[in-house]
Amino acid sequence: MAGFSELIKSFDKTRDYVRDFFIYGCKVRNDFNAKSSRTYDDEKRRVESWLGDYIHTDNSQRGKKVCISVDSGHISENPLYKAYYSKSFTDNDIKLHFLLIDILADGESLTLKELVNRLADDYGEIFDEQTVRNKLKEYSEEGVFIKEKQGKTDYFSLSPDTAESFFGEYDGLDNAVKFASEAGIFGVIGNSLLKASDLKNDIVLNKHNYIVHTLEDEILLDIVIAIEEKRFISYESFGREKNGELPEFSGVPFRILSSMQTGRRYLAMYNRKYNRFNSVRLDSIKAVRIGEVCHEYDELFEMYIKNEHKCFGVSFGRRTELGHVEPIKLTIYADEQKENFIINRLEREKRCGTVEKVAENTFTFTADVFDPNEIMHWAKSFIGRIISVEGGNEEIRSKFYNDIERMNRMYCDEKKK
Amino acid sequence: MKRKNNIFSELYGTYYRTAAKILAKDSVTESDIYKIISEETFSDSALFIPQKLIPRNGLSDWGLLFSKDGKSFSSVLNHKPLNIATELQKCWLKAQLSDPKFRLFIDDNVIEKLEKRLESVKPLFSNSMFRSSDVFSDGDPYTDENYIKNFRTIVNAIKAKEIIDVEFMSGRNERKHGHFLPLRLEYSRKNDKFRIYCSAYHNRHWSNGLINLGRIISVKSIDSKVSYETNMEEYFMLRKCTEPVIVEVTPERNGVERFMMEFAAYEKYTERDLKTGVCTVKLWYDKADETEVLIRLLSFGPVIEIKAPQSFRALAAERVKNQYELLNKA
Repeated sequence: MAGFSELIKSFDKTRDYVRDFFIYGCKVRNDFNAKSSRTYDDEKRRVESWLGDYIHTDNSQRGKKVCISVDSGHISENPLYKAYYSKSFTDNDIKLHFLLIDILADGESLTLKELVNRLADDYGEIFDEQTVRNKLKEYSEEGVFIKEKQGKTDYFSLSPDTAESFFGEYDGLDNAVKFASEAGIFGVIGNSLLKASDLKNDIVLNKHNYIVHTLEDEILLDIVIAIEEKRFISYESFGREKNGELPEFSGVPFRILSSMQTGRRYLAMYNRKYNRFNSVRLDSIKAVRIGEVCHEYDELFEMYIKNEHKCFGVSFGRRTELGHVEPIKLTIYADEQKENFIINRLEREKRCGTVEKVAENTFTFTADVFDPNEIMHWAKSFIGRIISVEGGNEEIRSKFYNDIERMNRMYCDEKKK
Repeated sequence: MKRKNNIFSELYGTYYRTAAKILAKDSVTESDIYKIISEETFSDSALFIPQKLIPRNGLSDWGLLFSKDGKSFSSVLNHKPLNIATELQKCWLKAQLSDPKFRLFIDDNVIEKLEKRLESVKPLFSNSMFRSSDVFSDGDPYTDENYIKNFRTIVNAIKAKEIIDVEFMSGRNERKHGHFLPLRLEYSRKNDKFRIYCSAYHNRHWSNGLINLGRIISVKSIDSKVSYETNMEEYFMLRKCTEPVIVEVTPERNGVERFMMEFAAYEKYTERDLKTGVCTVKLWYDKADETEVLIRLLSFGPVIEIKAPQSFRALAAERVKNQYELLNKA
């Protein structure tokens, strides 16, 4: 495997592989649409190298199977964060990183020329000005260096904010970051802060932990900037190649919607072409480009919020017009004396619906939603108690009744036992 | 328009961090370097980092170490490497300050000081940009004074390995009281609640316990500590189901993808039949979550079938039978 490197230049291809290894856990080389088996081998070796403890290989009949199996409710650190810590760099990058910080560590403020001279005088390293200028620009944008103009000349000094200083000065911050690095939004950033201070999470675990979500954090950073600045975005989707190219879609982003039940995350946006709101799965988005400012953003957002209240999950329905809802009613049996936990479940999980007691031990859940089909996955978690399903549409009702027939044959057929 | 700060940057990378660790030592041998690499990096890194870092004939690609005797190596730096918090990290911290759960861990006066320090920093995101459609509506009261007090006492006890006296309401709404060694907090985004994994001391025996923080009435210190470290792997092993549930998942209605995503958080082992596309999944779960696992599996309808263990399948069959009878009665 000559030329193999465990570091990578861009994240998107690896992101796709890691996700497949993790989610499916049953793919072999031939299942991946790689350009070559070499690509598969390299990606597999990288994933094995980053996630060693969690990788399981198994020689199934179809070839060697690779999967990542993690009991993610009981781990102290998301192992997929390691994928973010594998960016490739040049020898000059790492040299300049340590040497420039070392020169400025005494608190001096120096010019580009002075820094180039100090690199040569103090460490015997000869760099051309352009290379050092690029690094200074990059690190000033990252907040590592502070750039100040004196007359016509730029002076560079080191930011005083070390990671250790935050944890040292603010009691309890370490535990808060340990929590947020696993359960919070963009947890990988918190994890990088902990790592910079040699700290490890030893306090919080995260139930219903979809560790794979972190693979979307890179594109998510672009999306939150677009939302913050009220801009259009365009994006490419994975796996929908046409004539060898990925199609590009565009819209106005409003919110990231997630389901803790299904583990899916979506970008809710306005699609100008079809004049409707829709939700796009985040894991289907390969890359995002931030576009122009949307001047009608506030009006669209107001309309979006009105519509969002009619989503049980994330779906705005199939229709092209805005605002069409379908009522649905479930009637549920619960023994009021012994099964208060069922009534509590209905109350806390009803979302935009309404729960009412209609008779002794009988409760209804009603909702006006764009896509009543979304309710049915949740409704089936009450199997054993559903007295009737009304409203929605014929397709949904007959699917439910057929499903129960099939499940009855599946589980209760004497011959099958 | 392109963002300037990027989380996928070598600045946060494992190689930079490992190099910093090595450079922070006054002097290291080659075996010290290999040891640090094996502790800090990926499994193949020992093939790549030493050849870049260790000088041969006085030279190395990274030029960060030098050696006088060819045996031990010292950093060329004049200071210990500094880890500067980047703008991205500070923006993230600022955003977290608006999360009441983050604030639970930090006293109000400290929060105030931190807010002052990050005054000029723009939060990376606002919580209103994110919405979970199915988070339960009866989440913990994160701003309640008694809850905050209990929370902090428990966090301190976890850190200090201190046994605490806890009074709480049980799931059956009974007032309970006991001595516990708290081990870890657990947060569930779906339930929006904290629970405490703990060891319960009762009748001179330790047993495995789990308490909802929102149900705690009071927590008191009893000035008693343990000196040992609880092995969390063994602890969770005791909580795990004795037999995995075996489920057959069909590709109907995109069942395989939906199932794999929904159960991604569970430890599992999968085999796929190439001809039919049907996956057979072994799924392990915490015994306390059995009902939750059962109703989540049933919500997939006939797209999946619980095959084993027989006792688990019987639980599903009972619910399905009740359901079938209810519909036919109606």
